Amino acid sequence: MDTMNGYDEEVTFLSRKLLDLNKQLIESEKAKSRFLSLVANELNDPMTALLGLIPRLKPDEKNSHQAIFGLVHQEALLLDFRIQNLVAAAQIESGEIDTTYASVKPETIVKEAIEDLKYLIQRNNILISIHDTLMRPVISDPRKLYLIVKNLIANGCTYGLTDSIVDISITESSSTLVIAVNNQGDGPKVEFKPQVFTRFAEGLEGEHGLGLGLSIVRELCESLKGNVDYTADKSWVTFTVTLPLETTLPDSDACGSNEFLFESFDDAVEF
Amino acid sequence: MIRGYSTFIHVGQIHIDVAPKAISTVLGSCVAVCLYDPILGIGGMNHYLLPFWNKNGLQTPKFGNIAIPKLIESMLAKGANSKTIEAKIFGGAMMNPGVNEAMMIGQKNILVAREILSEYQIAIVSEDVGGQNGRKIQFDLERGKVLMKYTPRSDLLSQG
Repeated sequence: MDTMNGYDEEVTFLSRKLLDLNKQLIESEKAKSRFLSLVANELNDPMTALLGLIPRLKPDEKNSHQAIFGLVHQEALLLDFRIQNLVAAAQIESGEIDTTYASVKPETIVKEAIEDLKYLIQRNNILISIHDTLMRPVISDPRKLYLIVKNLIANGCTYGLTDSIVDISITESSSTLVIAVNNQGDGPKVEFKPQVFTRFAEGLEGEHGLGLGLSIVRELCESLKGNVDYTADKSWVTFTVTLPLETTLPDSDACGSNEFLFESFDDAVEF
Repeated sequence: MIRGYSTFIHVGQIHIDVAPKAISTVLGSCVAVCLYDPILGIGGMNHYLLPFWNKNGLQTPKFGNIAIPKLIESMLAKGANSKTIEAKIFGGAMMNPGVNEAMMIGQKNILVAREILSEYQIAIVSEDVGGQNGRKIQFDLERGKVLMKYTPRSDLLSQG
């Protein structure tokens, strides 16, 4: 009993110490969180307006400005993708992102993401191949699944080799949905795994982005009770998302909200 | 009991609302801090999985030392008064005694809640924490009361 009390005291002491140290860490990282939330708010609305207006400026087929219009539209879509990532990160950090389940076909989501990334895919001359052995709808959060898949495909196209293949497989394994995105090229080394999934990662070798996309992917996977991991060999990098297959659609989400009719609390204790 | 709908929150979520709404969640070793301003009827709840954020990944409210200050700040931003806010804490059970006894996740989650609330000078007016049972809670913002039921481990497979 005394040993247990001593053990408890030690844990309490160390936890207090850790809490104190983490306070300094949080303080030093506060600027990044503020930046995320400010940028997300400040950029999202004008970007939405721009994306709505740009198609109205589309010149005729024979107009010499057609190519410039294409470039403008392409850059706007890529910028919007980055802003959507900032918004998602800010929402996750503020605790505002909820899970809304619906019946979705993963292949449809993958195709939607590919369509939205078509300029990036064309620019880097990437050939996308999809292998769907699941071929049926699953119950998941479509918005989260879309962001997960889009980030992985965008990474494959951006950091993989140009003029190469990005191969996407959708399979079912032991009641889990497995989506793997393979691209040709050098991947981040396995020893950098913690940084790879950390926002604004530093210390990685080679080319990398804001370090936001993969941190969002990991958070979204975990919020769907799944995970993401990667492997890299000499010529291929594979990011694999594993999500448990939900069997029933919650009543709450059928009406598109996170509200639900809670069971009876008649015999509950009141505090 | 609450008649009608209640907003359910998952791990890493924070929800603030006003009377007559209700907020619910299911807890294992996770902890939920419920804050209430009795004058304005504003209430909020978080649901965190682990005590400390360690710079690994996004700074999300699935960590207690992120979720509790964020909940307090969100309450104040909605107009709650820091002098009248009161807290109730729930959860922090030891769900798999063999596995997480050494980690004492539940206990650390409880400790973080007590430490941070005390730092903000927010009184914990009631609590039901620790033990080996999961909990279902529903926070009735009309009355500022939390209804709680213990729940079997099988109901908590996917909860924190």
